[in-house]
Amino acid sequence: MSKVVVLGAGISGHVAASHLRRKLSKKHEVIVVSPNSNYQWIPSNIWVGIGRMKPKDILFPLTPLYKKKGIIFKQAKVQTFYPEGDLELNKPYVIVEYVDKENKGKKEKVTYDYLINGTGPKLNFEATEGLIPGKNKTYSVCNYTHAYHAWEGLSKLIQEMKQGKKAKILIGTGHAKSTCQGAAFEYILNVEQELRQHKVRDMAEITWISNEYKLGDFGMDGMLLSYGSMTLKSKEMVEMIFEDRGIKWIIGAGVNKIEDGIAYYETLEGEYKSETYDFAMLIPAFSGHGFKAFNKNSEDITDKIFKGFMIVDADYTPKPYEEWSVQDWPETYQNPSYPNIFAPGIAFAPPHAISKPRVSKNGTTISPSPPRTGMPSGITAKLVSDNIIDTIKSGNSSLKHKGSMGDMGAACIASAGYGMIKGSGISITTFPIVPDYNKYPNTHGRKLGKTFGEIGLAGHWLKLALHFTFLYKAKMKPFWWLIPE
Amino acid sequence: MTQRITKYQRFIMMNPIIQFFKFIYLSLKVLIIVAGRHGGTRKLK
Repeated sequence: MSKVVVLGAGISGHVAASHLRRKLSKKHEVIVVSPNSNYQWIPSNIWVGIGRMKPKDILFPLTPLYKKKGIIFKQAKVQTFYPEGDLELNKPYVIVEYVDKENKGKKEKVTYDYLINGTGPKLNFEATEGLIPGKNKTYSVCNYTHAYHAWEGLSKLIQEMKQGKKAKILIGTGHAKSTCQGAAFEYILNVEQELRQHKVRDMAEITWISNEYKLGDFGMDGMLLSYGSMTLKSKEMVEMIFEDRGIKWIIGAGVNKIEDGIAYYETLEGEYKSETYDFAMLIPAFSGHGFKAFNKNSEDITDKIFKGFMIVDADYTPKPYEEWSVQDWPETYQNPSYPNIFAPGIAFAPPHAISKPRVSKNGTTISPSPPRTGMPSGITAKLVSDNIIDTIKSGNSSLKHKGSMGDMGAACIASAGYGMIKGSGISITTFPIVPDYNKYPNTHGRKLGKTFGEIGLAGHWLKLALHFTFLYKAKMKPFWWLIPE
Repeated sequence: MTQRITKYQRFIMMNPIIQFFKFIYLSLKVLIIVAGRHGGTRKLK
């Protein structure tokens, strides 16, 4: 009998737990530990943030599903890792603290044979002074609660604009090293369209603020893509969209402080500037959760397992940008010190950024962190669970399933406005996610044709189709496993 | 110079009939690229 513990029930944690449960017989235990009682389809938060969906449309409770499927669910947050056990308990374990009403504050040692860390990122709002969702007129769409509050703030502003108020809206990244520009990009386009739907677009000045060196970088060093019969840079595509929508932009900006209606930022040129606003949605920095790890003798071995996020089979040797290689990126997401620990999705420590790192004249790093959200999270979680399943079934360690982000495609289906007829979407598909400059030297490290962009109503329908399809899959309804990650 | 979305391009982007076929094409293309294959890179070293 094997016991697999999955930390987190987001995209990667839930994907891993679902596949493990389906493919492992009932004599093996699958345990999910997550402080959230609900599963949420995060990509649709954007639509909650513009009032087109309610939080209940994008989530469902985990307890009944897991009970039905035979997955043990502990509504708790992990605190400490003991990958060797301790002097009393000769088995690896994690200490978790329950957060549900009945057991709140109770701690438990959860032992495991295999551990999947799918805890995702900590939304590090504290890294930017004054950046607090719902305060100082700043909001977030990183979870459904934040997104709902964002809609409340935006809705109030729309009403004021209808009364004749001129407003400034600021959307983008709230820290010099934020990632997930894609979510902010979707939100700014949706907000712009909502203002048009409410006939107040001319009352608002909308500005994009980002730590990207160029528009369309998205933390992926930008891309060269096929667009219809043309070949465009992602910078040109985003510029075309912003020009078309009358959106201004500030780039190379590291937001470092927020006051009520004022965002302070530093530019790559070393200037300190500020931008006023009536409504802002700024993506915070992501960080690891600050977990601690101890060995059998209770000595601190945090550095052996964590480097902010969890250490996996990547090449972490510090080297200059020119020497970065696609081979630095992990393939199996296995911790090198403890082979029974894995970290798919956002939980793994990337070897380095994807975009060329840039430093301001004052020495401040203003550069996007690499994105690992969405499809890569699901794909890496599935391959990790497949390797564990093979190992358990064969009795021999198996790492047959591999998935480097340097040999994996991803689609970013960005909603650009809601509506069955008036909606729009921007589909950007890249292959590979991490550019391989040796394999594709003339096309900015990516395969043209497989890296392409599309703008139009079809993109909105596709995003909507993905919403329903992935919620169906997450609910583990009949034949859910046929739907790819 | 920044590319502009022309009136014709906008017509194509927002025409539900054209976009229906685009939707089928996009769904299949995205499926093939994303679910097609993934693997390691280190064997290339």
